[in-house]
Amino acid sequence: MSEHAAPAVKPADDPAFQLPASLRSLQMPLLGGGLVALLIGMGLAFSVSDADMPRFGMSAYLTAFLYVLTIVLGCLFFVLIQHLVRAGWSVVVRRVAECMMIMTIPMAFLFLPILFSVFSEGTLFVWTDSEYASKLHLDENMWETKKLFLNGPFFLVRALIYFGIWGALAVYYWRGSVNQDETGERAATDRMQYWSGPAVMAFSLSLSFAAFDWGMSLAPMWFSTMFGVYMFAGGILAAHCAITLLTYVLQRAGALKEEVTPEHYHDLGKYIFGFIVFWTYISFSQYMLIWYGNIPEETEWFFSRQEGGFGYLSIGLIFFHWLLPFFGTMSRHVRRRPGVMAFWAAYILVVHFIDIYWIVMPEARMVEQHTVPSFGGGLGILASLLCVIGMTALVVGLVLRVAGGNRIVPVRDPRLRESIIFENI
Amino acid sequence: MDQKTMSETKIETTVHGMMAEFTTVDSLLSACRRVRDAGYTKTDAYTPFPVHGIDKALGIKPTALPWICLIAGATGTCIALAMQIWMNSIDYKYIISGKPYLSLPAFIPVAFELTILLASFGAFFGMWALNGLPKFSNPMFTDPRFDRATDDRFFLYVDASDERYDAAGVRSLMADTGSDYINEVVEDDSPKEVPKPVFLIWGLAVAASLVPLICILTMRVTNSSRPRFHIFFDMDFSPAKDAQQVTSLFADNRAMRSDVPGTVARGQMEESLDMLSGIDVEALTLSDPPRVERLVRAYMQADDEAKAEEQETLEKEAEEAAEVTEAAPASVMDTTPWVENNPLTVDAELLAIGQQQFAIYCSVCHGMDGYGNGLVNQRAQSISAPTWVPPASMHQETLYADKYPDGKLFSTISNGIRKMPGYAGQIKLKDRWAIVAYVRALQKSQNASLDLVPDAKKAAVEKAVEEAKAELKRQAEEAEKAAAARQQAQQ
Repeated sequence: MSEHAAPAVKPADDPAFQLPASLRSLQMPLLGGGLVALLIGMGLAFSVSDADMPRFGMSAYLTAFLYVLTIVLGCLFFVLIQHLVRAGWSVVVRRVAECMMIMTIPMAFLFLPILFSVFSEGTLFVWTDSEYASKLHLDENMWETKKLFLNGPFFLVRALIYFGIWGALAVYYWRGSVNQDETGERAATDRMQYWSGPAVMAFSLSLSFAAFDWGMSLAPMWFSTMFGVYMFAGGILAAHCAITLLTYVLQRAGALKEEVTPEHYHDLGKYIFGFIVFWTYISFSQYMLIWYGNIPEETEWFFSRQEGGFGYLSIGLIFFHWLLPFFGTMSRHVRRRPGVMAFWAAYILVVHFIDIYWIVMPEARMVEQHTVPSFGGGLGILASLLCVIGMTALVVGLVLRVAGGNRIVPVRDPRLRESIIFENI
Repeated sequence: MDQKTMSETKIETTVHGMMAEFTTVDSLLSACRRVRDAGYTKTDAYTPFPVHGIDKALGIKPTALPWICLIAGATGTCIALAMQIWMNSIDYKYIISGKPYLSLPAFIPVAFELTILLASFGAFFGMWALNGLPKFSNPMFTDPRFDRATDDRFFLYVDASDERYDAAGVRSLMADTGSDYINEVVEDDSPKEVPKPVFLIWGLAVAASLVPLICILTMRVTNSSRPRFHIFFDMDFSPAKDAQQVTSLFADNRAMRSDVPGTVARGQMEESLDMLSGIDVEALTLSDPPRVERLVRAYMQADDEAKAEEQETLEKEAEEAAEVTEAAPASVMDTTPWVENNPLTVDAELLAIGQQQFAIYCSVCHGMDGYGNGLVNQRAQSISAPTWVPPASMHQETLYADKYPDGKLFSTISNGIRKMPGYAGQIKLKDRWAIVAYVRALQKSQNASLDLVPDAKKAAVEKAVEEAKAELKRQAEEAEKAAAARQQAQQ
């Protein structure tokens, strides 16, 4: 039913479905380099952390961790939602997302330093500091109530639940998809679709609460019910960008040449465009309600992001996270050009880091209130960048390793042909 | 009708184009490509479901709809922003929750909504316009076989208005594509006249729709003793009580509540205790702490008992001072540390207010010039009122600023002295201080010398003085003359 003759579906062991050798050879350099960069970055970050900024080191690590985690979880959500709506178009890019989604398992190990910091007072989360309430003259009763939620053991339990949910979902959908490559059984698809509804619900709740735990509790006196959605919005946007970029890289390296067409980039581009608007909508909603309400304990979070250099970063986010990519990806002609879409995807992945940095780093400074947040100087910025580059490289190395051991397309998915011949109306 | 007339009728009807029926998508697509390649542009295809790639096969150009949508959306943004800026920042400035008149964050939701609304309108109506809708009938419907276009048949249509159209040529081209059924699309011969009842119903509907409008109009322009019919209630029936109404809600049955003691209303803090009482409270704290406490109770907490006590103190002091003045002048001083200087900025504006207030409240007794010979005093003298104490002249030395500080003068105006009642209830706080300022000016005016006048105005003043003197002299002479004339007349 198409203008051009439908391409024949290639056999499962066709080289087009294997990770190209050029990328395969990048695995070890990425893993090693990433680890080294991460360690150097952490070292630098801790050297910046002196009496004035005791939390800088762990905050830089948390920034890098949340950056990668939001993308990985975005990919998990992408896979779940494709099964939920029984999408046919996305099959050729789904394995790319699946390779990233399975990274929730290594992310659980990378979470250990953060978990450790909760049990050593005040190295990352201010609420772990036993004198926090008395330093800020907080109301005893209120603080006691907050501590019912914000305490080390419960934090550990919750983290286990989150990673339990994500790990289980990732493994279940990964196994289902990879096993289908061998067996080709249709029932696997049905099973995955059957569980996708509850999976999305479990995912959404756990993501929201994880965002409260790891992002919002950095400023324990501040709260926003929108925050979980905000983190999700950035993550799912970045996930679509990561899928686009990685698919493009795979194509450039020689795989999936005929399978992924401008039609797929067009659809990914629609999602990217849509989620740029979604991110803007969510972040503005969060801002406006707090701005309008004008309640001191709520506005304080935004206020500290308007001081010093973070003020410029806040304004910058409006222009670089919304306005520029919004108009950049609006046109159909842009979305149908893989190269241009890959550029915008890479661009948004960078901006997403700035977004996460903007969430986490202003909280790194506070021993007492009313100290202006800082970037930690040139060394601090370098440390933050090294951390995120290191962790990203490490995880990308792992993604390539996983992709190398499997096919990069679900070769026996019942909708593969539909996906290959897919055309936008 | 015989066969011949039928065919003649058919020839006379307008031909709209040529249609061909296909049974499969692939045959339709290949036919589309052939028609496209033959150069026809006014073509269309009808299928029971969307067919991918058919626009390419037919050579349909990309739609302009996205541009219409973009322009409509941008228009929406501009209208929304302009409207809100005009309404909230220019036409009807109104502070909402302490935000500036022109606060962009508050404008964004409306701008967002209107952008979407107009973009949707652009997409919806733009689509109608581009498709030539609304269209009640399509000549394609004249062929009964076309009904299957919504079921299992595919149709290709070439319009007769196409430049290259030639019935025989198109027919043969379509025959080449393997179509089983080719037919000319002719004018729909169903009657074009609109049935009469439709007009009737339409007219009735229009008339009925005018009824509510007429009702509203009538109510707006005519007088009636009955309450107005409310379509929108607005705030016409507010459950709030009026000021003097009775309520069962509170024990004292008063709907209007007085301030809770200790309440500090907005703007009230601008007035310090010094300004309220005329007493230098800081100095008083050192000499007489209980009195300070009483002052705070009296003024800040509106405690009537404390107020009465304070009043007593003031009266006692005044009496003592009066006695002392009579017995041994200037031996015992008033112990209250009065505020020395007017707390308000003394300028022409304040003096003007002071003059006005003095004229309204003080001049009746003290006289416009402050010499204590106002109309009330004149009347009291003329009837020799037994209990009358003549009002003080403002121009005696004991009332000058060095002996009678501004604060004390203020306190006298507020609380009264001897026969004079307190004017705190009548004159506003700042106006009382304005009167103090004016009285000082009045006192200075009576002791002014020409040296105080700026050089530039000296000449004018001297001239005025000369004129006044001449005038007085003239009046005196006239009076003398008149007296002499009267004397002569008497003699």
